[in-house]
Amino acid sequence: MIEKGEKRMRKKTKIAIDPKYILMIIGIICILLILVSFRFQEKMTPVRSAVGSVITPMQKGINQIGVVLSDKMDYITTMKKLVKENTSLKKELAEISGENKLLQQDKYELENFRKLYDLDQQYEGYPKVAARVISSDNDNWYNTFIIDKGSEDGLAVNMNVMAGDGLVGLITEVNKSYSKVRSIIDDESNVAGTFLKTSDGCIVSGDLQLMNQGVIQITGISSSAKLQDGYEVVTSQISNKYLPGILIGYAKDFTTDSSNMTQSAYLTPAADFAGLDMVLVITKVKDSDDLEDIMK
Amino acid sequence: MKRYISLTILSVLCFVLQTTLLPYIQLAHVMPNLLLVLTAAAGFMYGRKAGMYTGVFCGILADFMYSRVIGIAIFIYALVGYINGMANKLYYKEDYMTPMLSIAVSDLLYNILYYGCHFLLRGRLNLGYYFSHIIIPEAIYTVIAGFFLYRFLRWLDDRISPREELILKKGPNDI
Repeated sequence: MIEKGEKRMRKKTKIAIDPKYILMIIGIICILLILVSFRFQEKMTPVRSAVGSVITPMQKGINQIGVVLSDKMDYITTMKKLVKENTSLKKELAEISGENKLLQQDKYELENFRKLYDLDQQYEGYPKVAARVISSDNDNWYNTFIIDKGSEDGLAVNMNVMAGDGLVGLITEVNKSYSKVRSIIDDESNVAGTFLKTSDGCIVSGDLQLMNQGVIQITGISSSAKLQDGYEVVTSQISNKYLPGILIGYAKDFTTDSSNMTQSAYLTPAADFAGLDMVLVITKVKDSDDLEDIMK
Repeated sequence: MKRYISLTILSVLCFVLQTTLLPYIQLAHVMPNLLLVLTAAAGFMYGRKAGMYTGVFCGILADFMYSRVIGIAIFIYALVGYINGMANKLYYKEDYMTPMLSIAVSDLLYNILYYGCHFLLRGRLNLGYYFSHIIIPEAIYTVIAGFFLYRFLRWLDDRISPREELILKKGPNDI
């Protein structure tokens, strides 16, 4: 029966090459591709564009349907929740209005800090372009997504992407009409950050394992730094890709590492990654040439 | 030929759905892998070559659009297609258990290889966590989604090549 089946298959396709060898050839080609694409990452962009320019218009269309559908779904499912929420919110409102007065006082303090760090001007002054998220990664391992603006709209690789107040990620690839963004919660992402209040440097790295709990990892904080839960972490001056002073999130759960030299903590991102729809792209690339000169 | 054209169109469709609508129906932070179901089903229904063809095509889409390094997904998908193609001998039209099982195994294989290529090499060693939070949930979810997609593919297959059916029907009588 098996032999017959094989024969039948061969007769039908009329190609004598055993699939085994085709698989081997595919394997070899793939290994070559991996090496080539790893070595010449920049030069692969046109090839990627060819695939992308066919796929992204479709994604754009379908995504719109998706947005409408999920809006409708949300509408139905959240009705009950809303009633419950409403009562609890009223309670909260009372508490918060009290807190608000305290915060008002803090605000003055914060403004002083901002002036101190000269952030205010930089942060507000960055030119921004709004873009819509049209599709996300095709598997569960990474956190990259595609936005509907590209080099036509003045975007370039290494531009920073924000949503609301918080940093979302970095553009890693730009094509004519769409670009790819790697978010800071992606497992491969590392951002040099600094604590706004104490100027202690740290590294914020995405972690798939922690991401499901809504936090990411902060490492490399000096053990002498005196920090508290809730301190803001912003992008650092020394980062060579991220513009300084963009809010990344709030730190919590500080622990001293086993080496006793550094501390680690968790960070709750300021941007909401679950419902990412519109993002802001800062159309200014950090000029790291100066930095490199200093480093030399 | 018709079959290959339809597989190509289906791959593109699945890919577009996968990247746009599926994130909206995530459960426990995972979504089913339609591309994998398609590759596995193509291999299972039409044999090793069709499986590999679909795998390579799906891999190209996934790699070129989202991956930094091109080639890993292409190879993994091709391998999945090939292995499912070997199970083609067990193919029997009314049977749903075997293809579901093969989809589950394929998904596990895919994710383990993917983990090995992307995460293990970067020193992420907590395999237990990834198993319980991504690999296993995705396999379950993929099988559920795979059931419907597989039914659809079977239905489509009947429409596209009714002549095939006659030959395939003979299959079980040969035993």
